[in-house]
This record gives sequence, structure tokens and C-alpha cells, in this order.
Amino acid sequence: MRLLVQPTPEALDRARPPVRIFLAFAVLLLVAAAAHRASQGALSPDGLERLLEAAPGERLGPLALWEEVHQGAFLYGFLLLALGSLLVVSPVSSRVRGALLAVSTGAAMVDLLAPLVPLVAPSLPGWAALRIAGFAVASGALLASAAVAWVTFGRTARRSDG
Amino acid sequence: MVDPRVRPFRGPIAAFAAMLVIVAGTAAVLFARKMGLGAAQVEAFYLGSEAAFSRPRSLEGLLEVAVPHLLAVPLALFVTLHLVAFAGVVRRRPFALLSGLTFACALAGVAAGFGIRFLWPGLAWVKIAAFVGLEATLLLWCVLLVSVLVPGPNGSRREEGPVLLPGRPG
Repeated sequence: MRLLVQPTPEALDRARPPVRIFLAFAVLLLVAAAAHRASQGALSPDGLERLLEAAPGERLGPLALWEEVHQGAFLYGFLLLALGSLLVVSPVSSRVRGALLAVSTGAAMVDLLAPLVPLVAPSLPGWAALRIAGFAVASGALLASAAVAWVTFGRTARRSDG
Repeated sequence: MVDPRVRPFRGPIAAFAAMLVIVAGTAAVLFARKMGLGAAQVEAFYLGSEAAFSRPRSLEGLLEVAVPHLLAVPLALFVTLHLVAFAGVVRRRPFALLSGLTFACALAGVAAGFGIRFLWPGLAWVKIAAFVGLEATLLLWCVLLVSVLVPGPNGSRREEGPVLLPGRPG
């Protein structure tokens, strides 16, 4: 926290290696999450609908759906907080930073909440495609945030050393 | 007064708070659907029920749920409390009391499951109370987090004693 609220060039320079390792793990997490969904068949609308189909009498949908949203929100929350905070102390324009955070947060919300649409409007089609799009956009925006943080974090500190 | 150094982080904090609300909401749904909201239902979940054709929970099954929660819950609370403390929106004493209550509920929630299964079924009430307490305090922390994002009258922040401000004396 101190490195984030007191971003002196020395502190940022010292923090760059562990930050980059964290960013590498964040990228691995996003890639692994995509691979996991692909292996489940959750990256096609038909596969996703089959996966999260409610059994007869399950008015609130399958338990797996709620567990997935529960875990997904936890992961997204920490990624958004960590990557968003790293971008705050990186030399990135506030417009780029704001856009990356807004897009990744909005798309993450779509990814998490789209499967709940059939519970309130069972006849509404397209929730599966919406969820897949939300996941793709959220993952893309988070990967872009990680890439921007990788390139820019501590850059000012490096310049001041030179 | 809210520490002005927190202001640039309002976006990531808002996103984190929103996700925390979803985590709390889905946790409530999962609790209600898996166990139910009454002590008898919670007991039946852990001890098994002939009527529901369910077996008692095994130690392995309890640990499978407890271990990730022993990491995730304290981690989420630690980060949330740290952000609220840093922003200085709560006075020292209420902050300490609320923090203690939140962590106590989290610990009691995890421990009560083992207690119901292996010690005394009457602990089902503790499980329910701990879960309700954790949900309520978690939502309160989310409200406090969001209050960091809302400017006070005339764009200023509320005048309250800050807590735990690194880089500032006492």
C-alpha cells in the first residue's frame, strides 16, 4: 500500500520485479481461466446453456451457476483492484487508465450476471452469447491492463536513474 | 478527513466493492440453497438426513470447503479493512470493534461447521448467526468503502479521526 500511495521513483524501482512477477501470474490466471472454460465447453453458447441448464424444479438455477459467480466475482474483484491500482501509479494517461478499468469492470459484470438473466426472464434469448462476449472483453481488457502495467510501471523511476 | 492519497484509487476501489457485493450476495444464495435458513436444516446438512437421503459430511468434505475459505475470507476482509482504514472514514475504536466482530464471525462460521458435525448439533445457531453477522458486517464495510468514493459537502470529506495512516505520525 505504501508503494501505491507514496510512489517515489526509488520505491517504484524497487517494486518493479515483484510487480512484474505478479503481472505474469495474473496473465497466467486469465489464460488458465479461458482454458478451463474452453475445456468445459463454456465458450460456445450451446455448450454454456447445457452446462448451466437448471434441473426441473430448480427455480434459482443450478448451484454450479452460483458457485461460479461467487468465485468469479472474488477473482475479478482482486484483479481489478490490483491491476487498477498499479495503473494509477504508472505513467499512463488517466483516459487510458479509466477506459481499461471501465471496460474490464463492465464486461466482468456482464460475464457474472448474464447467466442470471434466465432466472428473471426465461424466454429472453442470447444470455449465453452475452456471457461469452463479456468474458472475452473482460479478459482482453485485463490482459491489456497487465501489459500496460508491465511496460509502464516504474518507468519514471528508471528514467530518473539514467 | 479521508486521506487525499486514496482519491486516485477510487475507480479500482469501486470495482472491488461491487465485486464484493456480488460475492456476499451469491454467498447468501449458496448458504440458503445448500443448507437452508433454519437450525434444523443446517443440522441436517452436516449430520445427514434420512428424509433427504443425505449422508453426514465427511471430514474431507468439510475441509474442501473450509480451506479455500480460510484463505479467501480473511484475505478479502484484510484488503477491505485496510482500504477503509487507510481512507480514514471510521474512527479508531469503532473500526477496531467492527474489525474484531467481522473476523470473529468469519472464524466462527468456518469452525461451526466442524463443531456441528463432531461436537454438538446445537452449534447450528452459531453457524447461522456467524453467517448473518459476516454478511451484515461485510456489506457495512462495502458501504464504508463506497463512502470513500463519494465527496462530502462542498467537495470536502467528512471530518473524522483517521486511522492507521502510514507516513503520518500517531
